Amino acid sequence: MKKSIILALVISLALFLTLGVSFADEVIKVGAGQPITGRFAFAGKHIHQGLMDSLGYANEQGGVGNKKFKYIYEDTGYDLKRAIASFKKIMAQEKPPMMYGESTGVGKAMAPEINSRYHVLYGSTSFSEELSDRQKNPYIFVSGPTYAQQFGVLLKYIAGQPKKNNKPHRVAFFYSDTEFGRDPIPFARKLAKKLGIEVVAEEVTKVGAVDITSQLLDLKRNKPDYCIFQGYVVPPIPEVIKGAKDFGLDITFMGTFWAMSKMLLDKLGPDAEGYMGVSPYSYWYMDEFPMIQAIRTYSEKHHPDVTYRPNSYMQGWFTGMIYVKLSKMCHEAGLPITGENLKDMIPKVKDWDTGGLSGVVSFAGSNATGMGKVYKAQNGKFVPVSDWIRLDE
Amino acid sequence: MRIGHFKETYVSDQAVFATATSRFWLGILFALLLLFPFVAGDYLLFMANLAGITIIGAVGLNILTGFAGQISLGHAAFIGVGGYTAAILATRFNLPFLICLPLSGLMAAFFGIIVGGPSLRLKGLYLCIATLAAQLILEFVFVHWESVTGGIRGINLSPPEICGYVLDNDFKYYFLTLAMVILCVTAARNLFRTRVGRAFIAIRDRDISAELMGINLLRYKLYAFAVSSFMAGLSGCLWVNFLKTVTPEHFPLMESVRYLAMIIVGGMGSILGSIFGAIFMTIVPEAISTVLGLLVNTFPTAMSFLFPLQQVIFGLLIVIFLVFEPHGLAEIWRRIKNYFHLWPFEH
Repeated sequence: MKKSIILALVISLALFLTLGVSFADEVIKVGAGQPITGRFAFAGKHIHQGLMDSLGYANEQGGVGNKKFKYIYEDTGYDLKRAIASFKKIMAQEKPPMMYGESTGVGKAMAPEINSRYHVLYGSTSFSEELSDRQKNPYIFVSGPTYAQQFGVLLKYIAGQPKKNNKPHRVAFFYSDTEFGRDPIPFARKLAKKLGIEVVAEEVTKVGAVDITSQLLDLKRNKPDYCIFQGYVVPPIPEVIKGAKDFGLDITFMGTFWAMSKMLLDKLGPDAEGYMGVSPYSYWYMDEFPMIQAIRTYSEKHHPDVTYRPNSYMQGWFTGMIYVKLSKMCHEAGLPITGENLKDMIPKVKDWDTGGLSGVVSFAGSNATGMGKVYKAQNGKFVPVSDWIRLDE
Repeated sequence: MRIGHFKETYVSDQAVFATATSRFWLGILFALLLLFPFVAGDYLLFMANLAGITIIGAVGLNILTGFAGQISLGHAAFIGVGGYTAAILATRFNLPFLICLPLSGLMAAFFGIIVGGPSLRLKGLYLCIATLAAQLILEFVFVHWESVTGGIRGINLSPPEICGYVLDNDFKYYFLTLAMVILCVTAARNLFRTRVGRAFIAIRDRDISAELMGINLLRYKLYAFAVSSFMAGLSGCLWVNFLKTVTPEHFPLMESVRYLAMIIVGGMGSILGSIFGAIFMTIVPEAISTVLGLLVNTFPTAMSFLFPLQQVIFGLLIVIFLVFEPHGLAEIWRRIKNYFHLWPFEH
């Protein structure tokens, strides 16, 4: 009697365990260390929500090969040490084939181990040039154009505009003294030269600088037609634009991804009119695109109280789309979804229709999309003034 | 229970670990520390390495601030000097790790002596501001001396190699960190059994009377800066080799403040306190976030306020510890130990 009970117990335990294993096989894990608190929280929480919703949406569409995505995340507080700790924790506990991380710093710190030990597909909040280098970091991708490519898009756009008095376009770079600020500048200088654009001033400030009088005077002296910001989120952009207006300067101000948010336009108020910039994604209100429609429908269903999602949310969503796309490609090729196989799929992404959230994507030469659209602010909203501009053409 | 411990010779009076009991427990601790990497996973090993590297930095700062009474807000910058020296020597000159390590300490010590210079004229808050200047200047140099430091992008280096053995993961690195922690803590503990260490304490307690006793203030204050920065340099070298990359963002002013908080929470003027402080500041935030992470999994909607709560809880913990025990964790530990000395007989 006793024996049979033990036997039954053992069998049921074994069954339970095998069931557990087969359940575990049914999911595709995506790990993420998200800056939900800390300095970067203003964007981090939206990126997190976007990525989570994107995977949720993919699950509603049936997942990949009957497998659903499981999103595992931790808050990193935008702290390098905590971010690395959470990366290692998730990798040790869950062993996902895909990871998401905050900041350029974490990507750089983890890159050697991603290449040598973890072999995990890695996306992040960063648009850094270094991380998109396929030879150096084959597992790491940038979910958009790098900062240098974003600058490239803007410079290409400027080069295509009619010249004033037949003289070359005059451009100023206005950037913060951080990695984020300085990353694209060397490339931008070279490209400007190639395109026949004159870089007449370079203004460098600390992040969140308040006193920008000397930079304004320098702009007044050098009279650029365009001034491109890099490495800021909000301050000191409004101060510069207002100051330039007070000085009566006729400058078109432009920004890259992080300076292309509704938050900035709201802060600028009436001064926002005519502000331009580059973004790799479409905005929430551009509901002529099927993917934006899908995002809004998903939002209405799961977060009925939400009325707007910022561009950082779109970044998270788009990153999720890349994860799903690469997983699908693995599945279609009959390969198991592992970091190794996912990595091999990146260069094979060609002419991928992203439903209008971004352009038609090919990871051709590097692990970045290399494309963006130029927008102009009108009545508190961004309106496209160009089509998708590709840099690798 | 332990009774009847009499110090009958000068040697026994001077002993660091005076009783068989303490030596026994120390032995157990070492055994556990050696066993730890074999049972712990990557994540715990990472945390252990982090804590170890932080301990070395904290011991360094405690020598300067806790023992010699010279407040410094530039500790992170000295760690940075060590880190950059290590990275530059390894990548430009291909020097082996075992040579880079002491050289980064020495380089940091050199900078420490320069920054310590004003300490003869400046005391307390004024010295604090002078070291703050050092922090800002060094941070500026890290960012802008691009030809040497690699600017904002920093320097990437390959994993350290000791006698042909490549320390390329947390497991292998743990033994290096452990050895260095033991070395530094032992050195620091023994420092205060020498003339130099006692001179530090005399200067802290009253610099004028220390001078009257024949202690050369300038020399000993500079010694304190040198020793402290030397350890900071070692910590920096270990940190950079551990992460295999260095950028200026690793050594912000906040990091200096964090180190000060560490030795205050742990216990000023106590080597054990630096260890407790470093572990507390490294492990507790992780522990809090793990607990909150579990809660978030159970109540996903609570995320928006549970995550920000971490900082609040951590801050509150520090305040509570300090209110109930201003002498830091080391003092709490001493009380617990004393309780067990006589246990189970309370009086």
